[in-house]
Amino acid sequence: MDMDDFGDDFKVPQRTVRKTYEIEYESLPQSAVERLVANDIDHISGIFGVEASAASLLLRYMNWNKERLIEKYMDNASAVTVAAGISPPSRASPSALGPDRSQGSSSGTRTSGFRRSARQTPAPPKAKPQPFVCPICFDDTQASFAALACDHTFCSGCWTAYITGKIREEGEHAIRCMAEGCALVAPDPFVRTALTDDPETWERFNELLVRHFVASNPNLKYCPYPSCTYTVSCPTAASKSALTTIVPIVTCGPDANPPHRFCFGCPIESDHRPVICSIAKMWLKKCRDDSETANWIKSNTKECSNCQSTIEKNGGCNHMTCKKCKHEFCWVCMGPWSEHGTAWYSCNRYDEKGGVDARDAQSKSRASLERYLHYYNRWANHEQSAKLSVELYAKTEKKMEEMQVTSNLTWIEVQFMKKAVDEVFKCRMTLKWTYAMAYYLEKGNEKELFEDNQRDLERAVEDLSELLESQIEPEIIPTLRQKVTDKTVYVSKRNEIMLEDTAKGFLEGRWQWNVPVEGFD
Amino acid sequence: MDARLRRVNKEIADCKNDKASNIKIDLVDSSPFHLKGSFPGPKDTPYEGGVFEVDIVVPESYPFQAVKMKFITKVYHPNISSASGAICLDILKDAWSPVLTLKSTLISLQSLLCSPEPNDPQDAEVAKHYMTSKKSFEETARYWTHIYAGGLGSKGKVDTKEAAKDEIAIAGLEQTHVTQFEGLGFERSKVIDVLRRMNYRGSNAANISDERIIDELLK
Ligand SMILES: [Zn+2]
Ligand SMILES: [Zn+2]
Ligand SMILES: [Zn+2]
Ligand SMILES: [Zn+2]
Ligand SMILES: [Zn+2]
Ligand SMILES: [Zn+2]
Repeated sequence: MDMDDFGDDFKVPQRTVRKTYEIEYESLPQSAVERLVANDIDHISGIFGVEASAASLLLRYMNWNKERLIEKYMDNASAVTVAAGISPPSRASPSALGPDRSQGSSSGTRTSGFRRSARQTPAPPKAKPQPFVCPICFDDTQASFAALACDHTFCSGCWTAYITGKIREEGEHAIRCMAEGCALVAPDPFVRTALTDDPETWERFNELLVRHFVASNPNLKYCPYPSCTYTVSCPTAASKSALTTIVPIVTCGPDANPPHRFCFGCPIESDHRPVICSIAKMWLKKCRDDSETANWIKSNTKECSNCQSTIEKNGGCNHMTCKKCKHEFCWVCMGPWSEHGTAWYSCNRYDEKGGVDARDAQSKSRASLERYLHYYNRWANHEQSAKLSVELYAKTEKKMEEMQVTSNLTWIEVQFMKKAVDEVFKCRMTLKWTYAMAYYLEKGNEKELFEDNQRDLERAVEDLSELLESQIEPEIIPTLRQKVTDKTVYVSKRNEIMLEDTAKGFLEGRWQWNVPVEGFD
Repeated sequence: MDARLRRVNKEIADCKNDKASNIKIDLVDSSPFHLKGSFPGPKDTPYEGGVFEVDIVVPESYPFQAVKMKFITKVYHPNISSASGAICLDILKDAWSPVLTLKSTLISLQSLLCSPEPNDPQDAEVAKHYMTSKKSFEETARYWTHIYAGGLGSKGKVDTKEAAKDEIAIAGLEQTHVTQFEGLGFERSKVIDVLRRMNYRGSNAANISDERIIDELLK
């Protein structure tokens, strides 16, 4: 749903130009990649004068690197042809071709130098002197046989079972001959014939080919979401060096809901903006390595710092009020909430002083653990709060729907909450990653500006979060709606600023790190 | 009939009829898909004289998927796990071909016993032993053949005095080395364990200082 659908509620400018934190890319359906594959095959088939099926095997063998293939092929065509599993060694060169002993020479048609790679199968029953029994199944009722260019003959049933298993169970696209030690690879028409009655496996085979093509091409990446067949093309993020200045978050396909969002530059399957891949990876590794130390933080209960009674967090808001003593405090830093509303709010900043003062090794290591926990605590909290606010919203949503029935509110009028929850979720993801970034940022002006933006966004998000947890009654809806809508617009702006400024900082090389970071000197 | 069943039944029958071969395949229970293979250890190897039993599981998609085999008999060999009997052999993995049979695979296992491949080990400790001293390795392998596979071994029949030596010989260590550290007050089983792990054998023993061994023993 577009923001425009909310009428006057959200006055956000239309997206016209690409923002610094966004990246140019294209989402390709499998058919589009199949066309790219076909183009490469046609190209090679044309210049070598070989059949498409042979060109495909040659390209697959060279991981779709056309230039390298052409170079190697010009150098020694028969060696490449053998290595790619197209011809058996002895028949690699035309001069070494012996008479075709098995079935005349109908299949011996030569295309510019080498033997046609496979017979169309199932081949007609072979005219052998005595009845031929397939050496795999020993089933003498079999009448249809096939072989690759090596003439290792097996029954069609065995070929089909074998090829199906290779594709389905092993995800293999280069399917070797069934004979022991034979390196010939089944060309596509052979595979297709074997799978005549199984279009689903043939489909899967084509997907495997596309996946191999995509994996071999640095400009492309396959969508990591299960059973999605889209590919994203993002040449700007193809080089390692590009990843020190951009965070290539992409979304596949036009219609997945929620959209398949992932990083083009690394294996993280979520939006880790504004942090670049190498920092994100370092942070996740650190969290994994220190998971035990930090485990206690994930617990959903804490003690009130005033009366020590147990308090459970059940929403996304960090403004806690003790049920017993009414003490108001911040869930993250456990400090009094009153301080969070003022100019000297500093829940997001870690006071580095302690680390400087620490003299002996023990207090140094304690200081470094404390420092890590400061950032980890906030990181984990945003993650947890985002989840909790979505859960809480599920309850609210039900209530709103009921209200829509009992009061005279329209559907549009109750949607403002949903929009706000989505925004809170998005911003908490940004905030979460800003803590990973701040952990590695070198002290100084730039870090302070970064943390100012972080603080402003965080405060805005906490305010909105709190509003979302208000008791919903039909009477208050109009005012609440106005407040929530205003705050949502504001939060969204703060998020823009956070993302935009951080992205610019990467392009300008403004960020300095307190540890060596991959790609930076 | 099920293709796998037909194929396995034929394989079992062919193996029974082949009187010249010394490879045996027997049923374990009523299922033709769980079998036990056995073959004699090859001549002129430390495994000579022993009979080696192999657990065979025929998977659902056999023969298009490799048969699963592991040694039941304990074997001292770089490519066979001394603990589990697991085998590192290419044809049991990627190099499997549907034309291979249970019998041909068992023959491959038999020839694996003739030609250890310590650079691609299944059992790293045994492989190290092999690389350090082939002679000492062979002695241990022969001893294992003797006590686990019913082979003759090098030491003739076991007498009672030798029973105490057992665990040292099984670990492929030297009596004098073990008693040296045992003399310092460490338990024999612990000493054997540490010396075996550190490959305290042949020329390698000179490379390992007593301190390092004691460090390990104290852990
Ligand atoms: Zn067959
Ligand atoms: Zn072949
Ligand atoms: Zn997708
Ligand atoms: Zn990334
Ligand atoms: Zn309290
Ligand atoms: Zn706080």
